[in-house]
Amino acid sequence: MEKVVADRRPAKQPWNKSSKLASFAGGRGIADATLIALAVLLAAVVFGLLLSVLWSVISAGAGAMSPQFLYQNNRYISTTTSLEYGGVGHAILGTLWLVLLATLVALPLGLAIAVYLTQSQSKLRNLVRSITQALAGLPSVVSGLFVLSIISFLGAQKSGIFGALALFPLMLPTVARVAEEALRLVPADLRLAALGLGAPNYRAFFQVILPAAKSGIITALLLGLARVVGETAPLILTIQANNGTNLNPFDGGVATLPTYIYGFISAGYASSITRAWGASLVLLILVGILFITARLLTADKKKKKAKK
Amino acid sequence: MTNSPVAAELRSEDVSVWFGERQVLKDVNLTFRANRVTALIGPSGCGKSTFLRTLNRMHELIPSAGLAGSILLDGKDIYDPSVNPVDVRMQIGMVFQKPNPFPTMSIRDNVLSGLKLSGLRVDNKDELLETSLKRASIWNEVKDRLGEPATALSGGQQQRLCIARSLAMNPKVLLMDEPCSALDPGSTRRIEATIEELSESMTIVIVTHNMQQAQRVSHETAFFLADENTPGGVVEFGSTEQVFGQPIDERTNDYVNGHFG
Repeated sequence: MEKVVADRRPAKQPWNKSSKLASFAGGRGIADATLIALAVLLAAVVFGLLLSVLWSVISAGAGAMSPQFLYQNNRYISTTTSLEYGGVGHAILGTLWLVLLATLVALPLGLAIAVYLTQSQSKLRNLVRSITQALAGLPSVVSGLFVLSIISFLGAQKSGIFGALALFPLMLPTVARVAEEALRLVPADLRLAALGLGAPNYRAFFQVILPAAKSGIITALLLGLARVVGETAPLILTIQANNGTNLNPFDGGVATLPTYIYGFISAGYASSITRAWGASLVLLILVGILFITARLLTADKKKKKAKK
Repeated sequence: MTNSPVAAELRSEDVSVWFGERQVLKDVNLTFRANRVTALIGPSGCGKSTFLRTLNRMHELIPSAGLAGSILLDGKDIYDPSVNPVDVRMQIGMVFQKPNPFPTMSIRDNVLSGLKLSGLRVDNKDELLETSLKRASIWNEVKDRLGEPATALSGGQQQRLCIARSLAMNPKVLLMDEPCSALDPGSTRRIEATIEELSESMTIVIVTHNMQQAQRVSHETAFFLADENTPGGVVEFGSTEQVFGQPIDERTNDYVNGHFG
């Protein structure tokens, strides 16, 4: 009995004898074990960082949370007003409104770029792709500065539309890149099948290719939204703050979550700091909803593929 | 649109094909007679699939593809500048090697997709749906699940659905590019039976690597061959019986008897 057990043990290789990690690697060698250990360690570090960020936002922001914090605006509220009054309702609306305006331009244009990159045979494709990638590296504050220069050139007042304009170039490359990948995943056979049935190119695209890439394109949209929803610098430079609710993008100030956070954290009072953390929590939840939606949609797509 | 299509004669005259600078086919002259099944056989890379794609102008979708010669459908050149390739492809249908039903559509919508894609109108869609599925011998298997997604079908069923999808356009000619190479023997047999029935109402050209299949389904056979560094071409063309039984060319003899390729 004892002998059999001894024979079965894969401990004949020297590196397996003592190291627990080596046996964790399935006896495939010290290099494997080291890499696995490193990967686990790094994953733990990343996970720990994420948790600590989440924890600090939740624990600090929870104090500000209440129904009224979500729907009231900030009129007649000062930096020292008790937390029982006022909220970020106006800032949630402002953020959604500006992001929607940016999306109205970035989505069609990003989609058009993706279509151009995947469906055409043009030699300019590489140039367009490089420019789009370069745009992805554009610092958001530069985008804000650029729009600010437009504002002063026009002699205009800062307003919501300029904030949306500053968000647009930040959103565009994300939408274009993810939509391009989604369109590229559609099998070429499908296009050939459609053309073989006598479809003109545009019908093959709208009735076969686009529906097949639908969930990927929705993902592109959501990732684009997530990219800009928390942007602060371009908004600080291009919009005026507002304590009330203002949905007119062409006139007057508008509050957004990032600028609200920036404004209240800079004030430095205990209650204003709590307000800023509360707004951070709201923003985090907003981004979380976007990412979870994106994940659910892509998971759905994979399931369909596996079925096929 | 009627439900009794008219088969047509398809003829290639001096067809040569290039991809960039490289010539892959030289002077192909073949006549596909109405209501006949013609098999294109030959080793891989001899240009038979490429040739098939010139027959309904799918060839020109490949960038860098070039073509000389003409393809006549009932005497009219389908490459004439006045002819719209979209019209050609509606009259000359194609079934591909891998079943490729549209994954976002139901079985019903797949069959009728050609109408929507080409902007055609038809009075009785349900009748067309049923006839097309019956002609592709898949009606009984799918009649109770027409609303299900096409991807829920097995590979063989998907391929017959693709055939039904082509038939719904009432083509005069049906081109099939190794339609059974991804299927099991049972599905293959069913598709071969379908091909035989379809030949009563249309002209069929089928590319196949399967010698037995060529002998089972075709009336005529063309043997394609490309020698090293030379463009491919037709070595022998005749009745299937003759090409397999008494090949005139020695290379045909070697190929059909399995000595190479």
